Amino acid sequence: MMGHSSHLRREARVAWAIALKDMRTYYTRPPSIMFGILFPFSLFLSFSIGRNAPIATQIPVLVAQTLFFSSSSIGPVVIPSERANQTFDRFLTSPVSLSSILIGKTLAGVIFGIGISIIPIVVGMALFGSQVVNIGVLVICMSLSSLGFSAMGIMFASIPGQTPGQVMMPLNFVRIPLLFISGVYIPVSELPFWGQVVSLLSPLTHTIELARFALGGETFFGLIPNIAILMAYTAVFLFMGIRFHTMNQKKE
Amino acid sequence: MGTEVLVKDSQIIDAIGVSDLTKKYGDLVAVDHVNFNVKKGEVFGFLGPNGAGKTTTIRMLTGVSTPTEGTASIMGFDIRHQAIEAKEQMGIVPDISNVYNELSAWDNLIFTGRLYDMPKSFRDSRAEELLKMFGLYERRKEKVEGYSRGMKRRICIAMALMNRSSILFLDEPTSGLDVQSVLIIRDLIRKLNQQGLTIFITTHNIEEASQMCDRVAIINHGKIAAIDTPERLKRTVESLQSVEVAFETAPSDASRELQTIPKVNEVVKEGDKFRLITNPTDVLASIFNYVQVRNLKLITVNTVGPSLEDVFVKLTGIRPATEAKETTSQGRGGQGAGQRRGVQR
Repeated sequence: MMGHSSHLRREARVAWAIALKDMRTYYTRPPSIMFGILFPFSLFLSFSIGRNAPIATQIPVLVAQTLFFSSSSIGPVVIPSERANQTFDRFLTSPVSLSSILIGKTLAGVIFGIGISIIPIVVGMALFGSQVVNIGVLVICMSLSSLGFSAMGIMFASIPGQTPGQVMMPLNFVRIPLLFISGVYIPVSELPFWGQVVSLLSPLTHTIELARFALGGETFFGLIPNIAILMAYTAVFLFMGIRFHTMNQKKE
Repeated sequence: MGTEVLVKDSQIIDAIGVSDLTKKYGDLVAVDHVNFNVKKGEVFGFLGPNGAGKTTTIRMLTGVSTPTEGTASIMGFDIRHQAIEAKEQMGIVPDISNVYNELSAWDNLIFTGRLYDMPKSFRDSRAEELLKMFGLYERRKEKVEGYSRGMKRRICIAMALMNRSSILFLDEPTSGLDVQSVLIIRDLIRKLNQQGLTIFITTHNIEEASQMCDRVAIINHGKIAAIDTPERLKRTVESLQSVEVAFETAPSDASRELQTIPKVNEVVKEGDKFRLITNPTDVLASIFNYVQVRNLKLITVNTVGPSLEDVFVKLTGIRPATEAKETTSQGRGGQGAGQRRGVQR
């Protein structure tokens, strides 16, 4: 019998193979580009153009928005497409656990989110004088946020549907309101008390806070609560995603 | 330890064991306490009309769907509690060729090898071997989206063979393919079986099942109606013997006139032929007499035994609506050509 550690290594190798395949196959699909790249950038532009604030101060918002939209878009593109052409069944019939399949797909979202959100950091540093003052916090922000938001996308992808649109619609129903309560357009410090409480509950708030801190700003809630809340959301999204997909398999 | 495994493996007679397997969707029972075994090295056919529960059964056996009740084992491994080990034993070809169209044939096979955690050297050599076996090696770098349906089917089967599985599940493997692809795939299935692979095949093509399968199970309304070898099943409906005749120019009222021949139970018009349901020895003389009296020219006379299709029709009650209009009497549901023995003039 296979030992526990060799079993885990095997599951990790297969999860990575799934992530690589998804990256090759789905990163350049129109829905990935539309919802993962164009959407956050155009949202940012539409709200930042004409504002008096220096662009360098807006860079953390763009970083957070791209992390949020890019990471959470891959699962809702990949899984319905694979349901439609029955390639998702190929994973279910393979000797690998459902958790590893979903972790592989989550990883594809993580790498997409990080890859896209690096662009505004590089552009900000090169053209607008942004500076990364705490690389450690930036790494935590990007890795934790992309993992959490990618897992959120995977969780939503458990909604039965065979086109990305069938999952994107309910996902956007959640994603867009989160923009308004997370300090994207109005800093948390300027919100009324009830707004700050609501903001505390949004995972996106903590991504923005961490990005601001890493790029020389301040956090309203503090680093430890930011990281702890993001970790909690990541765990919940991963757990619920696996649970919902397992329930789907029972209904199949 | 190694010896124990060998002894255990040799003791496994059944490649697939199914016990009380059930699938319910709310109040609908799609598969209802199904029991059967498939022996190692057997070609086992799973027949049934649309919606009978064939695909649901295959989906439960291959891990896509979770059974509501019952158990099943693949090479001795329980599909629920030893799912990973069970899945390592099988290759699956679903009814739709679920290949990655964006990837090349080579990358499809390599990715499948990675799903089975095959070492790189093994998966490279196996992919090359399979692509050569399926005549696709020269086009291995092309994206699969440019392949024909038959080529995609072949890639799909190659992917199912990548892990050198013990059991191959094929869900309607030749459905919708051109004749050449059908013949290639049938030949391949025979060769794979000769190499020791156990084959579990669902098909609508009853003649195909009759030709290829060692045993068949007929499923209807989620329940197994019969399991046996095709020949034994045919013997259960010996009453469905018939004579098939074709004339150079058939009289317009041939069906009605042939029905008047003594001991003919029924006449079914099948294209340019007439099938007389009867014991052939009782009526051949009368048929030749009829031909002489009417001054007709016979093209074909075949004595036809019951076909697997006749068994299928009898057990499932499937009867095409058009057939009822073409028969001159009621009471039989045969729709196929049966097993012909006879002469063609």
